[in-house]
Amino acid sequence: MQNLYWKWQFKSAPYWFIAPFVICFIIFVFLPFTYSVYLSFNEWHGQETKTFVGLANYVTLLKSGDFWQSIVNSVLIFVLYVPVMLALALIFAACLSATWMKWTGFFRTVFFIPNITSVVAISFVFLLIFNADQGILNQILMSLGLLDEPIRFLETPWWARVSVAILVIFRWTGYNMILLLGGIQGISKSLYEAAKVDGANGIQSFWHITLPLMRRLLAFCTILSTLGTFSLFTEPFILTGGGPNMATTTPVVLIYNESFKNLNMGYASTISIFFFILMMILSLVQLRLFRERD
Amino acid sequence: MRVQTRIFSIAMFVIFLEFAAAFLFPFAWMISSSFKEKSEIFAHPPVWIPAKLHLENFTILFTEKDFGRVILNSLFTAITGTVGGLFFCSMAGFAFAKYQFRGKGLLFGLVLASLMIPMESSLVPLFVIYRDLGMIDQLWGVILPRLTSAFGIFYMRQYCMTIENELLEASRIDGCSEARIYFRIVAPILIPAFASLGIIFFVEEWNNFLWPTIILRSQENLTLAVAIRALQSGVRTPYNLIMSGSVISVVPMLLAIFIFQKQIIAGLTEGTIKG
Repeated sequence: MQNLYWKWQFKSAPYWFIAPFVICFIIFVFLPFTYSVYLSFNEWHGQETKTFVGLANYVTLLKSGDFWQSIVNSVLIFVLYVPVMLALALIFAACLSATWMKWTGFFRTVFFIPNITSVVAISFVFLLIFNADQGILNQILMSLGLLDEPIRFLETPWWARVSVAILVIFRWTGYNMILLLGGIQGISKSLYEAAKVDGANGIQSFWHITLPLMRRLLAFCTILSTLGTFSLFTEPFILTGGGPNMATTTPVVLIYNESFKNLNMGYASTISIFFFILMMILSLVQLRLFRERD
Repeated sequence: MRVQTRIFSIAMFVIFLEFAAAFLFPFAWMISSSFKEKSEIFAHPPVWIPAKLHLENFTILFTEKDFGRVILNSLFTAITGTVGGLFFCSMAGFAFAKYQFRGKGLLFGLVLASLMIPMESSLVPLFVIYRDLGMIDQLWGVILPRLTSAFGIFYMRQYCMTIENELLEASRIDGCSEARIYFRIVAPILIPAFASLGIIFFVEEWNNFLWPTIILRSQENLTLAVAIRALQSGVRTPYNLIMSGSVISVVPMLLAIFIFQKQIIAGLTEGTIKG
């Protein structure tokens, strides 16, 4: 009898250990997701009655182009920040892993800080900094003679996207730097020594050794940034509210506005389904890259 | 050559100092603005040190906006979410790493699936479910979806793989139950992993915004990020109060990073590389 109990508790233990996850998965992932699919076929404004409308929401979505606009915005913001961010992160990582650099711990901390402090707080400071008429950025640029007219950062579509991009660079360069630092420290020192013997200088060995060996990791960072850009919310939400003229409306901002501002719950669910498909494709790409890395 | 390297290294150091200044600039501006009168924030030319230190920007938050309560709420959600998350993720990670059982593949598939279905894609139905369960405007509602995470399970699974099977077998022969093995043997081994993952969870929870802003309503239930944003509503935005609120949410974190920079960066690095 005793023996049977011990066997039972050994056999069932893993299920008990995993049960909380499964319960959470069902309540917070599976049920909402299936419900989302159901809602996407309904017109519903958050009141009692839902009306089944078939594919009408899907037709509206494809016709109105809101979702495509949000995708285009994300892509534009992505193009504006990713090259700058990755170049900066790579330079930071390369220099901060070099022996000739001083204060490396301090610099790492400083560059990484924006990533772990409150997005809301940082977004509000940038809202002040970017203010067109009295913001400190315009004042500095004008006093340096770089500008005659203040730039209307948050009020013109392109500058609004640039502002979001700057905020994202500020928040995420340090994170990418840390990822790349790990990669650089994994490169064998003997490669650099051999290059030095052959007469290569620092910049040459960065170009011919570091960069090629970091290609995979850079691709990984790019995928992570892509996922991050499409689910960007707080930064545009606080800086511009998605405007001007929807120029900074990302998919999540669109879902939020349609559901909780305009109360188009059904339509918002349809957008969510499209968003989900997009994110799933990107995650699959990421998982493949990630598996290869192991 | 040596002189050249020295000049290069000094030049790079100076350039890095400038970058560091640029990265610290918004924080400096935040702190400076938090002591200003509203009109001073947009003064022309910009003012770094306000004419008078307006400490009332902080006291108003506590007397009129209930920020004492708000800070406690943030601490409560961050600590409970972190502790709960560590507990559940480590158990699941341990099970996936060290047990053979039927349905393991399928269950691990669920972990992968939850990695691929972002919460952002089911905000509406989640909100509806919460409303039906009466969990709107509840702090628990903020914590619950964070109790397990695919990332946390992956992380813990990776760490548990390093535990030796002989150790577990030996305790089974000694008559340890599986629960006891987890609490007495596995959990102590996982302490470094708890520390690193705990930092990640705490930071995420402390700064969490989208979901709390959707479900939290009444002033006494807001968390810091939501409460700062709530200051924005009203006819004229009190940017001075928003900045002092921001200082409250950011400065403790800044101090912690400077004091524990090694541990925090190591913890987050481990997480980012493996995750």
